[in-house]
Amino acid sequence: MMPIWTKSGKKHAVTLLKVQDCHVLKYISKEESGGKTSKLLVGGKNASPFSKSESAMEIFKEAGVPRKQKVTTFNVTDDAIIKPGTPLYAAHFRPGQVVDVTAKTIGKGFQGVMKRWGFKGQPASHGQTKTHRRPGAISTNKAAKVYRGKKMPGKMGNIYRTSFGLKVWRINTKHDIIYVNGSVPGHTNCLVKVKDSQLPTYKDCNKNPPFPTYFADGDETLPEDLYDDEIFQFTDPSVTYA
Amino acid sequence: FSSSEYRISSDGKAAKFQPPPKPVIIDKQKQREERRFLSPEFIPPRGRTDPLKFFLERKDMIQRRKVFNIPEFYVGSILAVTTADPYANEKANRFVGICIQRGGKGLGATFVLRNVIEDQGVEICYELYNPRIQAIEVLKLEKRLDDNLLYLRDALPEYSTFDVNMKPVTHLDYEDIPVNKLQVRMKPKPWSKRWERPKYNIKGIKFELPEKKMKEAEKWRQPWLEFDMLREYDTSKIEEKIWKEVSEELKK
Repeated sequence: MMPIWTKSGKKHAVTLLKVQDCHVLKYISKEESGGKTSKLLVGGKNASPFSKSESAMEIFKEAGVPRKQKVTTFNVTDDAIIKPGTPLYAAHFRPGQVVDVTAKTIGKGFQGVMKRWGFKGQPASHGQTKTHRRPGAISTNKAAKVYRGKKMPGKMGNIYRTSFGLKVWRINTKHDIIYVNGSVPGHTNCLVKVKDSQLPTYKDCNKNPPFPTYFADGDETLPEDLYDDEIFQFTDPSVTYA
Repeated sequence: FSSSEYRISSDGKAAKFQPPPKPVIIDKQKQREERRFLSPEFIPPRGRTDPLKFFLERKDMIQRRKVFNIPEFYVGSILAVTTADPYANEKANRFVGICIQRGGKGLGATFVLRNVIEDQGVEICYELYNPRIQAIEVLKLEKRLDDNLLYLRDALPEYSTFDVNMKPVTHLDYEDIPVNKLQVRMKPKPWSKRWERPKYNIKGIKFELPEKKMKEAEKWRQPWLEFDMLREYDTSKIEEKIWKEVSEELKK
């Protein structure tokens, strides 16, 4: 995570996400998948092909791509279908777009009710016998049962969670890095899924994105760094309020 | 022809010719190059982060340093910082103070300046790479006996007062940085932290506490810490690489 300053002098914290060897693996049509839209399977970081069975490696062989550590599905409209085997780059996103980031949260193991659900526990002194971090009562008398989903101790973390509505500040095309506003779930160097935002406030935010994606054919050469309009670039002189 | 044999010496023997002593040439240019200063925020902390992230951060930091001069300074030097302030009269705000601590790595590096203005102690934490900073001048470049002068909060206020209109003290490039071996006198206890304890390892305080209190503070000494190998973080090689990288980029 890094600080970033705007032209008005305000500071924002930014997370760096690296797009490492992303390829489109498979196209699943609407009828095949049984959903409302067609799907595209996308694979992330390269990994060794020796620890997976032959049947699992079929998808990678058909696409002509080394085995990927993570495979995710994206629901796509029919006009945004990409041929399997095309690499995806960070320039697919542009500064100013708003993005949702999904990842597995940091695993905390088996945790008690105070850390896991934020219960208040009991006082440290004034006669409490062996009860300082316990949940207390778990149901009422009339219910005569414990409801399903009752908050109790258990394994915490290591589940998929999404941060919604994160603005993209900057894109580095040389190293394929996306600078995304705020924090993102997961530990450092964990695998992350970045999607266009589905929040209703940002429905019209993505103006003229590279559609269906940014193909590094050599037709349009982008500069090494793409900045948002409001970012203070370090080549400019210091900010003054005139 | 040598005149030594003809010299009449006082002890009668022939005085051997002593050549004059060779002049010692202090090459000031070499001394200037020997002292290199790498700002501490360039050194990456120990962790599992990808070194690419530090490389990109360093690029940004070097970019900023090319446009805006961040001078060399240490904890204990007196600085004057002018920042752009939208609510000030002349839209600029100048603060003079002694640098108490330097924290943070990368673009978020900070330094805290302390001064006593009209009997009120004031500490301001500035970010080195904040674009609102217009100028950083070093009024007096010197080091102190400690890395961290937070104990000035519990010292007598005269040790933290510095004149706001102080003239900058010139410092020649090739000279070593002077170390101010000042031992500071403290206000009576209670202090904000127990500075006499060995974990702070403070050498710049003149402790006027009774012997009994000093002996009791020694109970908290942890002599095994300096031999703990897992805590070692040798930065010499990393510093070399980064120094080369940074100096090359700045010369361009």
